[in-house]
Amino acid sequence: MAELTDAELRKELLALGYRPGPITATTRKVYIKKLGCLRAEVAAARRSGRTAPPSPGRSSAGPPQASPSRQRSGFTSGAARESEEEDEEEEEEEEEVGRLPASRWGTLGESGGQTWGDPRGSPPGRGGGVRAEGSRSRDSLGRLSPSEQWGTTEAERDAGSRAGGLIRRFPWRAVGDGGHGVTPRTALLRSAPRQQPEGKGKGLEYYLSQFLCLATLVLLLIFLGILVVKMVGSGWLDGSEESFNLLPVDCDKSTDEFCQAKHKDVTMAVLHELYSYLSVQAGNFECGNPENLKSKCIWVSEVKDHVLNVTGSSSQKFEAALHWILNSNKDLGIWLKGRDLSEPVSSVEEVFCLESAHPQMGLGCRFRRAVVTAIRNLFLFFWSLITLWGILLYLRYRWRKMEEEEQAMYEMVKKIIAVVQDHYKEWERNLERYPYVGIFHVRDSLIPPQSRKKMKRVWERAVDFLASNESRIQTESHRVAGEDMLVWRWTKPSYLSDSEH
Amino acid sequence: MSSTSQKHRDFVAEPMGEKPVGTLAGIGDVLGRKLEEKGFDKGRVTGLSPVSPGQAYVVLGQFLVLRKDEELFREWLKETCGANAKQSRDCSGCLREWCDAFL
Repeated sequence: MAELTDAELRKELLALGYRPGPITATTRKVYIKKLGCLRAEVAAARRSGRTAPPSPGRSSAGPPQASPSRQRSGFTSGAARESEEEDEEEEEEEEEVGRLPASRWGTLGESGGQTWGDPRGSPPGRGGGVRAEGSRSRDSLGRLSPSEQWGTTEAERDAGSRAGGLIRRFPWRAVGDGGHGVTPRTALLRSAPRQQPEGKGKGLEYYLSQFLCLATLVLLLIFLGILVVKMVGSGWLDGSEESFNLLPVDCDKSTDEFCQAKHKDVTMAVLHELYSYLSVQAGNFECGNPENLKSKCIWVSEVKDHVLNVTGSSSQKFEAALHWILNSNKDLGIWLKGRDLSEPVSSVEEVFCLESAHPQMGLGCRFRRAVVTAIRNLFLFFWSLITLWGILLYLRYRWRKMEEEEQAMYEMVKKIIAVVQDHYKEWERNLERYPYVGIFHVRDSLIPPQSRKKMKRVWERAVDFLASNESRIQTESHRVAGEDMLVWRWTKPSYLSDSEH
Repeated sequence: MSSTSQKHRDFVAEPMGEKPVGTLAGIGDVLGRKLEEKGFDKGRVTGLSPVSPGQAYVVLGQFLVLRKDEELFREWLKETCGANAKQSRDCSGCLREWCDAFL
């Protein structure tokens, strides 16, 4: 589009929604290219019926190689519609159906363009002559004359470049393909190097931290599980002695079946009362001991008194209950203890005190005990976990510090190389007296006085690195300005490019 | 760590002043010489050195004239001195970061 003046180019770009900067000699070409890109996008967007033009990523996908040929041909023809035609045709090749409303052509306002009702039929001549791919059967004989016109003008124009550009262009057409074309290019563009975890140290650290997190979670769950079990567990066993009824039938003397059952019931009642009393006492004892009991084991006399008071039965019943306990094999939750606490009790007379096996404690008390128990059980794991966490943090800190030091050392090495090389260059230009430069002079010129002490370690590592790993710099001893000192000499001609570039 | 090169970091770390065009990331000797030929150099003849190094600020000027549009700048760079995709990407990224930091 050589005829476009700067102002017109600017207007066109603005019309397509892009704000260009100043159009100067150096920027003109680029803006022309941009105009072509934008027009192609608009054509593609309208063509596939989408409202918004494709993203800028797509326009960048329009490769510089293909677009110059396209744009040049598009612009040098002197007709904007022609470029769109081309674009359409290319898209046609890509898409299954070319659905282009005739109105689109109408808007171009060119007389020739308006005769092209069906763009598919458009330039058979062109297609045959120029297209590298298989041509579709065109049916527009009626349109042959304009097409011939186009065909001749087009065929002359850089058909070769277009054909060449076409092949390459197709992979980049995104609109019809639904993005296939764009992805290779944008994938390439997006292949900015991602951050990679560096080295084995990072891998180990990563796994270690993951493992620790997992272990912490698992232990927390176990902890909660123990808590729950401790709190609720004893509650499960409380209802073991619940089912009984107290009937106010006097059945002391008789021993028939009914009465035996009644006796049993009464015994059960006594036992139940015994059980609850004992458990309450034991619970109180465990949980703060408000009554200042000496132990969970409660004297038989006290128990007897209490039970007899509550149930209103006689002491024979109590003894019968104790018998029953003694003879039963089940675990009733009541321990009978004799004077000698370790020996098992065999008869009722030996019983000295009774103790509950299931102390009944309040919720808060149970919770507290559960926490303490859980912590005690998990004590070992807990502390080892904390230790491991501490070690991990410390290691991480150390690794980071070491990496920073390494980086600092390499920075220093680079600066030194630059200084020595510059010195050598200046010596070549006869600005310096000697081709070598003292090591201390370099140090003093690179490190300001206040940081010399701080950077001492870095400096020394850099010097060692240079002595062992850098072949372009030679460490020698020379007499400089009257004193012997270690110097660095650049030993390589400076025409070879640096590994940095 | 970031994916930028040492050159990039060096350039972006301070105002460019009179730095030669070769200090731009992605611009090596060959590209630098091409840019000089196109006129991105000091503009005066110095007696000492045979080749006057191009100035980075002129390239920055071009970047700014293109309204800091990286894509356009990359195309321009490719047209002007034949930079490949990676070189132009490095250069445009470097200039953009410099502008973010100092403009």
